[in-house]
Amino acid sequence: MIDLLLASAITLSVPLVLAALGGAIHRRAGIVNIGLEAHMILGALMGAVFSGLTGNWAVGALAGLVAGGISGLLMNVIITRLKGNEIIVGLGYNIVMFGVIGYVLRATLGVSGTLQVPGLERMPKLVIPGVADVPILGALISGKDPLFWLCIVLIPVLAWMLRSTRWGVRLRATGASESASASLGLRTLAIRDGAGIVAGALAALGGVALSLGTVGLFNENMTAGRGYVALAAFYFGRSKPLPTALACVLFGFFDALQIRLQTTGGFNADIISTLPYIAVVVVLALTGIRQHYRGARTLS
Amino acid sequence: MTTTPTHEAPVAPAQTESGTPLGRRVIDAALRVLKTAGLPVLIALVVGAIVLLVTGNDPVDVYGRLVEEAFGTPSRINATLAATTPILFTGIAAAFAYRAGVFTVGVEGSFVLGGLVAAVIGSGMADMPPVLSVLLPLLGGTVAGGLVALVPAVLRAFWRVDEVVTTLMFNFIVAGLAGWAVQSFFLAKGQANSSTEYVAENAELPALAPPGQTSVGLVIALVLLVAYALWMRYSTLGFEFRAVGSAPRFSVAQGLRVRTVLLTALIGAGLIGGVGGSAHTLGLVHRYSEGFSADFGFTGIAIALLARFNPIGILVGAILFGALNAAGATVQLFIDLPVQIIDVLQGTVMIFAVAVFAFPRLRRLRAARVERKRS
Repeated sequence: MIDLLLASAITLSVPLVLAALGGAIHRRAGIVNIGLEAHMILGALMGAVFSGLTGNWAVGALAGLVAGGISGLLMNVIITRLKGNEIIVGLGYNIVMFGVIGYVLRATLGVSGTLQVPGLERMPKLVIPGVADVPILGALISGKDPLFWLCIVLIPVLAWMLRSTRWGVRLRATGASESASASLGLRTLAIRDGAGIVAGALAALGGVALSLGTVGLFNENMTAGRGYVALAAFYFGRSKPLPTALACVLFGFFDALQIRLQTTGGFNADIISTLPYIAVVVVLALTGIRQHYRGARTLS
Repeated sequence: MTTTPTHEAPVAPAQTESGTPLGRRVIDAALRVLKTAGLPVLIALVVGAIVLLVTGNDPVDVYGRLVEEAFGTPSRINATLAATTPILFTGIAAAFAYRAGVFTVGVEGSFVLGGLVAAVIGSGMADMPPVLSVLLPLLGGTVAGGLVALVPAVLRAFWRVDEVVTTLMFNFIVAGLAGWAVQSFFLAKGQANSSTEYVAENAELPALAPPGQTSVGLVIALVLLVAYALWMRYSTLGFEFRAVGSAPRFSVAQGLRVRTVLLTALIGAGLIGGVGGSAHTLGLVHRYSEGFSADFGFTGIAIALLARFNPIGILVGAILFGALNAAGATVQLFIDLPVQIIDVLQGTVMIFAVAVFAFPRLRRLRAARVERKRS
């Protein structure tokens, strides 16, 4: 029981972690990415279509990654170069992306909502011999798809890159103060565009994890607000890779718990789905209040 | 994050034209709206045309049919106005808050909860006297809409907690709570999908031209729009709204009631959203069901930004989006055109309504020219 719960919590976390890490990078560069949902659904579609065309899941994942990067750049350019408000552009971008995908599905493929791709290859589940039978550890790390292992690698790598590489320092400087960074000669817009590409690509991989990882088909509602939960997660984790990922696992655990409780009755899925968002409001409120009083003290 | 403002509602400079006659002012406003709204709409039409072309449709033909379906006959105009009503409310709500520089995304949540509360109260109004049976659910929905905005408003006004994210989060919280409340307490008997009972007949807002769906809700919205215009122009707090919106630090220094302005802006937007949701329930759908709001709150944001908070612009923008919604729903019946193309058009308008089309090189050239004139 607990093994099954943990295993599905981890599986449900993988798309969230990927999207939230992308969003966290973007946020560190100074932009709140509301369009994660759009990048995710595009990644899920591209992953499914290209895996079906080639019969190879890796090609599907790569196609999702590339499409997500382009999508991330496109959205980001409107924010950086055309000075569009990040919130409005993000919300509008989500509407456009879901509109285009829904339209194309119906107009050219003649399907409504769900796309069964013939010849689609799902991602393999890597069973680790020996570990698989260890009670809790086996449920946590055995039988997971490659994107799970990518997350495991990405979390420390991104944390290190943000802290110690030239790219990371410049990125954080741009996010902390754009005008100061620009006066030092940093190309702040280009840095932000780069972060936007990373955000789009990672979120799209999160989408691939949905379509190729768990179900093996594409549904236009399959992201089901996960882009916004990812947003909640990087706010919760203060845009640091490890805390952000842990927040995702927490939300993934809620999700898994909710699915289990639904079958046995008792808890209401709608109420549980609000928990991540309530958590973000509480965290924002607490940090905001603390900052307010700290700021007041330094001033007086 | 708090040190760098990452979002700023574009605020039009305060107009000082109270001496000019009303007719002249209306024309000026219309021209200004055309200038700011023309390019986003044009881009949206081009993007839509590309999508249509790629999928083998003739854009000119499709756009012609959309216009025909929106304004072709009196009954179609009626349908357009019915679709205009909810987004006119949300447009006013968004403009109200943005005027004070407060960037709420939470009108959607207020609209949804207002609609649910109005549906619940309205379904119990069968034995109430006529006027009261409409006013009670309307009032309940309005209060509910304001309550949704209360927490973000207090956090913003007293501790400067970023209102964009909190209001966005409250949309999802409200959606979850509404779904839970309907499932657990208000589920209509014998219904497969999760929706409440229909409101009592004497709680419905009457239709303006009976077979059509446009209701008295449109009149309420227009009254609100006029009230918004007068309030911004002539009231003291309305003046402070504009001042805080265009120069927040200056306003603090001048001792304006910034905290009152922030609270009023956020809660006021919630209240207006709540009225909108109630009017949508009582005037059009007569009950609350899943998918009650077709992103009306977000469309309202696009309208407010396109119009740059100008009342006449809000009306024009709401009719434009209402026409798209009404025409999109019927066009797919005649030609095999998925209704999602409307989302593409609306979303594109929304994105480019906030984009600034001053290309760096042009801007530099212009600056240089100004410089030369000065010297």
